[in-house]
Amino acid sequence: MGEDFNTDSMLDMFLYESEQLLETLDSTVLEKKDEECFDEESINEIFRVMHTIKGSSGIMMYENITKVSHKLEDVFYYLRESHPENVPHLELVDHVLEVSDFITGELEKIKSGDTPDGDESKLVEEIDKFLTKIKTGISQKGEELPPENTYVEPNQFYIAPTGSESSKYYKVSIYWRSDTQMCNIRAYTAVYALKEIAEDIQYIPDDIITNEASGDVILEDGFHMLVQCQCSKDEVKGAIGETSGMERVEINDCTKQEFEMGFHEAEDHPIVIELDDKDKEEEKKPEKKEPAPGDYVIKNKEAGKSKKLAKNQPKQQPKQTYISVNVDKLDALMDMIGELVISEATVLQNPDLKVPGLELSNFQKSASQLSKITTELQDVIMSMRMMPLTNTFQKMNRIVFDVSRKLGKDIELEVIGENTEVDKNIIEHISDPLMHLVRNSVDHGIESKEERLAAGKNPRGKITLEAKNEGGKVYIIVRDDGKGLNKQKLYEKARNNGLIGNRAMSEFTEKEIYQFITFAGFSTKEQVTEYSGRGVGMDVVVKNIQAVGGNLEIDSVEGGGSEMTMKIPLTLAIINGIVMQVGNSTFVIETNDIKEFVRVTKDMLVKEPDGEEYIMLREECYPFIRLNRRYHLDDSISEIEDGIVVVLEHENKNVCVFIDQLIAEQEIVVKPIPSYIKKVQGLSGCTQLGDGSIALILDIAGLIAGEEKK
Amino acid sequence: MSDELDLMDDLDGRGDTQKGMFMTFQIADECYGIAITYVDEIVGIQSITAVPETEDYIRGLINIRGKIIPVIDVRVRLRQEPRAYTDRTCIIVIGVKSTVVGLIVDEIAGVITVDEKEIILPPSLSQSTAGNSKYVFGLARVDNEVKLLLDPEKLIRDEDVEAFDESAPTGEVVEA
Repeated sequence: MGEDFNTDSMLDMFLYESEQLLETLDSTVLEKKDEECFDEESINEIFRVMHTIKGSSGIMMYENITKVSHKLEDVFYYLRESHPENVPHLELVDHVLEVSDFITGELEKIKSGDTPDGDESKLVEEIDKFLTKIKTGISQKGEELPPENTYVEPNQFYIAPTGSESSKYYKVSIYWRSDTQMCNIRAYTAVYALKEIAEDIQYIPDDIITNEASGDVILEDGFHMLVQCQCSKDEVKGAIGETSGMERVEINDCTKQEFEMGFHEAEDHPIVIELDDKDKEEEKKPEKKEPAPGDYVIKNKEAGKSKKLAKNQPKQQPKQTYISVNVDKLDALMDMIGELVISEATVLQNPDLKVPGLELSNFQKSASQLSKITTELQDVIMSMRMMPLTNTFQKMNRIVFDVSRKLGKDIELEVIGENTEVDKNIIEHISDPLMHLVRNSVDHGIESKEERLAAGKNPRGKITLEAKNEGGKVYIIVRDDGKGLNKQKLYEKARNNGLIGNRAMSEFTEKEIYQFITFAGFSTKEQVTEYSGRGVGMDVVVKNIQAVGGNLEIDSVEGGGSEMTMKIPLTLAIINGIVMQVGNSTFVIETNDIKEFVRVTKDMLVKEPDGEEYIMLREECYPFIRLNRRYHLDDSISEIEDGIVVVLEHENKNVCVFIDQLIAEQEIVVKPIPSYIKKVQGLSGCTQLGDGSIALILDIAGLIAGEEKK
Repeated sequence: MSDELDLMDDLDGRGDTQKGMFMTFQIADECYGIAITYVDEIVGIQSITAVPETEDYIRGLINIRGKIIPVIDVRVRLRQEPRAYTDRTCIIVIGVKSTVVGLIVDEIAGVITVDEKEIILPPSLSQSTAGNSKYVFGLARVDNEVKLLLDPEKLIRDEDVEAFDESAPTGEVVEA
């Protein structure tokens, strides 16, 4: 592409658009997968998606993507035009998903800077076969074959008018200085810019994208566009903007008739690219003559090849508007708001204000106003980072579909609460574990049809994916009605693998036994399948969930199915914590982890000869950690009766921690400890307190693990 | 294109004006220098939050306008007796690649310019005798005083990196 033509932003745009389109494609397909065939709307939708991808990948010169999408477009073109019956629906769904996968894969390559070199020929061939198959299915019945939708280089992008009364029409001509290079690309930039505001655009020369020679023509005769839009001349001018080498831009009013006439005098084979299918009927076709049979170019136009080149009219968009923002910017904003909250505290609790007898009522009024605003700001930024789980769940739909088909199981997926919102960072972390859980359910959980029938169950298995908010946490539940977990088997397996030593089965609660499957090196499945069962799965899942401060609970009824519940925090960035002091150091513990605070007397402390200590509290014995000894902190209280014991709970394990004193409960902004300092077990991060000092955040899981290690 | 611009910047901006300039500071009786291009800023000594279970020379964390950065005591790092911080004690904040670290020094001495040709490599004999010479990449004589020029990358990394690399896998095992 041109040297100073910004390919980066175009590439970004292409990737972003294509990804969005593929997402729509996937969801459309999966929505209809259980039906007999695609309805007209979804056929149009898929056609549109493929057409757009074909077009844009063509511009970006990603040939394999173009070919594949073109092939699939053909299939849907055929479906749309001739409404064939007896289309093997599932096969079609497969093809669509394969294409979607292929393109997604290629896009990934482009993203990571590689060349998209995937081989499309096999895919194209398969789809070709499929197309022939459905076509011959028809022709045997003696129906006429519709002409083929052969890919032609677009001759002219005529975008059909959306037919608004208030539209204005302009004739725009752009001339470049004679020494300008790559005029065709520059012209396309102008078209691209106008698309934002225009309802309809025609331009000449029409082959600016495909024909480099058109640049010379533009240089000589200028680049002419007919634009239909709602805006003024100045706005049009503004949109085209001023790029290097542009000599002048002429914008003249023209009438609707002139507009519809277009540049036809000069053209033999215009292609109509419509903006909106609905308007197809109302639209006056610029081409008057009846299409000759077999004249595919005209047939194309008649079929209303839809291409969303221009934006829909603004008034047709009652939808919410979105802009995409770089996450880094959001993070920066988030950091700054964190700073703001802290400096607010510094100002409001400034020691200078503590002069006795100071009249502060006005100050207090303004101060409370300020606090209100900062709190709101914090809420807003938090909500900005929240994303619904919809997309993540959508992917699961796909997985259930793929895996169940390959395993020959009939499984239905029910999704509940997909609109539940979770912090974006967390969503990224749970996608993989969730995928694993769902795969496990499909593969190991749900039995084969025969087994299900024999057990007197509905042959169709069911997996429920549920998300809900509960007590500051998000629960994501994967439930299946399969065979459930066999406690005896789990126990034996764990024992044989040496994971639990020689303890008797009765020593474990049900839930503890289910937790065995999350141990490293545990796999109940004898054979390794393609989808799951390498025995490395569940421990990784649990690790990933723990990485975001969540945990996994497993419940099961043998023969009735199992239920995996991921409990994850809503957000990582701001937590509620209790600030406490040990010696000269300040620590923070997340409020949710704390069960209670107790003052302990000497007789409650049990000391083993080797120095290990326990606390007897209400007839129960808890392990006891002195933070000052653990971290070698000076100047701290060592007399048990002078300090405070905090009882912490983590994953059903309790531990008591001895500290000097409590300071406050407050919302804290979690920051990572700089990576220069190597990881200290038991510390998960640090935070800045109101007075600017730094407190270390204790990580309960790490503390417990560190204690067990001893 | 932007790369080119940066390069240009470097050449006629930082590169030229800061070339051969060293920020010098006093530790015990010696005067040390550090290339000024590494230096971000100098702040007075402030309250440091200790982080447990770290090397003795890592003093902890400080908060500079919301950024939390680790600080190391150069005295301890150079195997000298630690001493109490005074109001002359300073923290030089340096950026080495993506790592930002604060260096606690006894006293800032000033900025000197040293011609590259005047930098003498430390005599090889001393390498085995003095413990801290591995951080010193050169000696410079300015106004009849010898300044030891420190390599900040070695100062903040060196054996730590190795120690870190070695401990990393074992740490993993413990966690699992």
